[in-house]
Amino acid sequence: MQLVQLAFRNLFRNTRRTVLTVLLISFSLTALIITDAMMRGMTDLIVKSITETLLGEAQIHKQGFRDNFDIDLFIEDTAEIEDSLSNDPTVLAYASRTISGAMISSSYNVTGGMVYGIDADAEADLSRIKIAVETGSYLSGKPNEILIGKTMGDLLEIKLGDRIVVTLTEANTGEMTQALFRVSGLLHFGITEIDKNIAFINIDEARKLIRLGAHGAHEIAIRFRNPEDAKNTALAVFTNHNTETLESLSWLQLNKEVSSIIEMSSYGTLIIGLILFLLASLGVINSMFMSIYERIYEFGVLKAIGTRPLDLGLLIIIESLLIALISCAVGIILALLISEYTSTVGIPLGEMEFSGLAMSDRILTQFHISQITELPIYVILLTVMSGLYPAWFASKIIPTEALQRSL
Amino acid sequence: MTIVIETKDLCRYFGDSEETMVKAADHVNIEIEKGEFTAIIGPSGSGKTTVLHLMGGLDNPTSGEVELSGKNIAKMSGGELCDLRRDHIGFIFQSYNLIPVLSAEENIEYIMLLQGVKTSERKKRVKEMLALVGLSGLENRRPGKLSGGQQQRVAIARAMASRPDIILADEPTANLDSKTGIALLDVMKELNEAHDMTFVFSTHDEKIMSRASRLIHMRDGKVELDERK
Repeated sequence: MQLVQLAFRNLFRNTRRTVLTVLLISFSLTALIITDAMMRGMTDLIVKSITETLLGEAQIHKQGFRDNFDIDLFIEDTAEIEDSLSNDPTVLAYASRTISGAMISSSYNVTGGMVYGIDADAEADLSRIKIAVETGSYLSGKPNEILIGKTMGDLLEIKLGDRIVVTLTEANTGEMTQALFRVSGLLHFGITEIDKNIAFINIDEARKLIRLGAHGAHEIAIRFRNPEDAKNTALAVFTNHNTETLESLSWLQLNKEVSSIIEMSSYGTLIIGLILFLLASLGVINSMFMSIYERIYEFGVLKAIGTRPLDLGLLIIIESLLIALISCAVGIILALLISEYTSTVGIPLGEMEFSGLAMSDRILTQFHISQITELPIYVILLTVMSGLYPAWFASKIIPTEALQRSL
Repeated sequence: MTIVIETKDLCRYFGDSEETMVKAADHVNIEIEKGEFTAIIGPSGSGKTTVLHLMGGLDNPTSGEVELSGKNIAKMSGGELCDLRRDHIGFIFQSYNLIPVLSAEENIEYIMLLQGVKTSERKKRVKEMLALVGLSGLENRRPGKLSGGQQQRVAIARAMASRPDIILADEPTANLDSKTGIALLDVMKELNEAHDMTFVFSTHDEKIMSRASRLIHMRDGKVELDERK
């Protein structure tokens, strides 16, 4: 009789207890896998929300521009950079933008904000501006078109087709300039900051208004073919355009607040995992001890007839291992079934704005191979470790005491 | 005659102070010869089980020696005692104590697995043992499906399967009805006579006493009388 076979049979001496222990561990594993899948989904959602809304995955600016959005700090000729980006195989899309502070007035009200001059076609592949048009239409390149956030529209008490005046400052001269626009679309990003403060006009008009020249821009936003490339600062996008006058930064560097939140979320999974498995480990220890106390006389007999303490300890460890293996199988199957649902239907959130990010109405959990390879290994290790103390206890049973105990 | 086990001035005291000290075995000197069918008898608390445990290396004496086939087991380490019990001593307990998840056959086989006996030899011996104790045909039954008498027969077969020098039996008939107890004793007596197997019992049972070739009377941890029939 092999120890494994004996251990396996021992598990089913008290089927109810074994089933409960297995369920405790497997539910903990399922919860951990789903938490991990949810965190991955949430991270993906946050990253997409931040990069796809407006930011892009990387941006190129004139050195110092980001400090206070100084209109004079613009890239004089974007053509060379755009040429380099269009030949870069890692780049999916890019778009030049002008950015300037403005006063926006209607017949009824006035507000301050930022006016972005955008390349409508290039922007359609890069940001969500086109998708965010709730009423009216996206920029077509016609003169005097302007897109404003719905909140800004409410503030200015205007509707689609109404006229507004935008007052800007010219670059280099600091002279004031004004232009009349007709509202061609109202936007809804779900992010108060954008919906309230940003307006979009055609880049050619913006360049003329603030006198940036035919190829001037304040920002070039970039999207990569593989979003993970944003983490790779060795890419040409970053190395070629970080010079004395230019800076090329990934979204992680541009929005450190969110990148910190994402980093913290991985610790969140770890903490949840630790709590879950601390509880599960206590359950395993309790279960193993109950099982040992029930068999204490039997262990006395086993030692009396010549079973070495190490073998007895090993028997308990194998029992723990078998419980862990069965639990992992159950936990993985359960997690995959739940994941199948939550990765397609999603976990509903309701529309929410989180730290300046618009979250969609549901999180789609994300499966990752480590969820069924790494996490179960931790579970097995922890469960076996939980069995160490009961195993040590069993190996130390003194036959004469054990034999007297139940007589 | 060959001496299988011998105790020399064997003492086992429990308790720390003079007032509370219990002398479960007090300078016990016993020689068990090969083939003897010995019963250690005495009232409860006389120390017969303690002496049996000391003889089997289940407990360490306070002082004195236990020699099994000439080796002093009182000074052996835990691991050495384990090996000694596995290879030289067979135990039969009052509550049978078979492993409930193993069949009769597997229970008998277990100790031989610990000894590293080859599969073919194990199977052969199991068959022999089951036949000797009259349980042929019940080899696949687990203890829960056997009567008390049948379980104790499996325990005897298990004790004998390892080919020990001596079998130590602690109240082996205490949980059995009279008829089953007699049948079981007859099995053991037959094994004793046919195979020259040495048995030492600790018992109150008159039936064992009547069949024993030697009675060692104990009282208050001392040997009061040692009579050979």
